[in-house]
Amino acid sequence: MGVTCVSQMPVAEGKSVQQTVELLTRKLEMLGAEKQGTFCVDCETYHTAASTLGSQGQPGKLMYVMHNSEYPLSCFALFENGPCLIADTNFDVLMVKLKGFFQSAKASKIETRGTRYQYCDFLVKVGTVTMGPSARGISVEVEYGPCVVASDCWSLLLEFLQNFLGTHTPGAPTVFGNRHDAVYGPADTMVQYMELFNKIRKQQQVPVAGIR
Amino acid sequence: MADVLNVGVNLEAFAQAISAIQALRSSVSRVFDCLKDGMRNKETLEGREKAFIAHFQDNLHSVNRDLNELERLSNLVGKPSENHPLHNSGLLSLDPVQDKTPLYSQLLQAYKWSNKSPFHGVAGGLLNQESLLARASAQGLRARQRPNSLLPPEYVDDVISRIDRMFPEMSIHLSRPNGTSAMLLVTLGKVLKVIVVMRSLFIDRTIVKGYNENVYTEDGKLDIWSKSNYQVFQKVTDHATTALLHYQLPQMPDVVVRSFMTWLRSYIKLFQAPCQRCGKFLQDGLPPTWRDFRTLEAFHDTCRQ
Ligand SMILES: [Zn+2]
Repeated sequence: MGVTCVSQMPVAEGKSVQQTVELLTRKLEMLGAEKQGTFCVDCETYHTAASTLGSQGQPGKLMYVMHNSEYPLSCFALFENGPCLIADTNFDVLMVKLKGFFQSAKASKIETRGTRYQYCDFLVKVGTVTMGPSARGISVEVEYGPCVVASDCWSLLLEFLQNFLGTHTPGAPTVFGNRHDAVYGPADTMVQYMELFNKIRKQQQVPVAGIR
Repeated sequence: MADVLNVGVNLEAFAQAISAIQALRSSVSRVFDCLKDGMRNKETLEGREKAFIAHFQDNLHSVNRDLNELERLSNLVGKPSENHPLHNSGLLSLDPVQDKTPLYSQLLQAYKWSNKSPFHGVAGGLLNQESLLARASAQGLRARQRPNSLLPPEYVDDVISRIDRMFPEMSIHLSRPNGTSAMLLVTLGKVLKVIVVMRSLFIDRTIVKGYNENVYTEDGKLDIWSKSNYQVFQKVTDHATTALLHYQLPQMPDVVVRSFMTWLRSYIKLFQAPCQRCGKFLQDGLPPTWRDFRTLEAFHDTCRQ
């Protein structure tokens, strides 16, 4: 895999989520990108069960359990600012057994689904972020496959994003700054999705037009 | 001439020996014919076996007989004289009309001359180069025209290890999976990997792949045939092949390898250098993949003219 940048695309004024997604995908097709199937990234939040919390009253840490259709045999478990564990998909079963320690937050499941597009060595995924029944936003993931060091190709990625997203071009993802010339990995992408989902959770629900 | 030949060889025995060889060959093929035909029809199985074994035995006996005959004759034939340094061509020196036809001395001179010039291969390469440039893509042809192992492997190792030390961001791993010709796996920073197939100190073929791409086949050998999955490295592979044709100096193959590696090293900034003409990073989704042979500046393939 290459270096990936995940960002949020605001819903265009006077348009629904679905219409904005269509605008973006049409733009990609005009650029010459080819459709290559679909993708899905999901995330479930767990918090440490009350029984295991110490008497000192320290707040429980949140843990996020995520899946990415790009890695169908893996399951990712992340803490905010913390380590990221990459496990087999059996990990989900393990979480059920750990009910006494980690409890799934109610209605916390958030996911993004959409179409994959290939343009030269770029892989672009535009997805609709949903929580329960409501569409909450748009995710745009751009991966540049040939490069493995984020700082090497950030300027190049930025040029692509500017062509594609115009004024909504994001800044460099925080994971890019963490390690200077480290090899970029799948966990870095999951951290970006986790941050994006957390941001969207805190945002106001978009108007009724966004509900699909 | 006849008496000259008689000095070493008994001609009559020679002729007999040749017919003995023919006899031996036909008796041997009779043995195999018999085996091939197998057992013939006879009333009983026992009868069939007996007949077959008897027939087979007869054939083997005649092989034995013919072989003994050939051995006897070969002793009579005698050995051709071995005092001549150039073996049978030495017989030429016995020609009594030496003064008129100085074949033998001319032969000796030619032999010495060809022995003394280890650079004849290089000269051949130089001559071939002209036609080579016209046929830029004829890689396989070039391989055939080149002298095979001109330089000792130790020399090649030495040149490569000196280049390896020259560039800290470039690591070169040399292996010889197919005998004397070396294969290099060049890793350039965390940007790309290059498989270089050498013939002596000449570079025959290069394949450029991504840092995260697999360069080995399933049985653990360097994969010199499959191309990169990424368009950017397919493009760089094409340019590297062009570079091989550009950096040609058959008298000094080590300089060629060093120039090529210096050029290759400029790809360390493959994703970081904008095009020197249009100032952009991307054109049709590709970064500037071309590097000028002299200045090493980055250009898009379409921006370089
Ligand atoms: Zn250009």
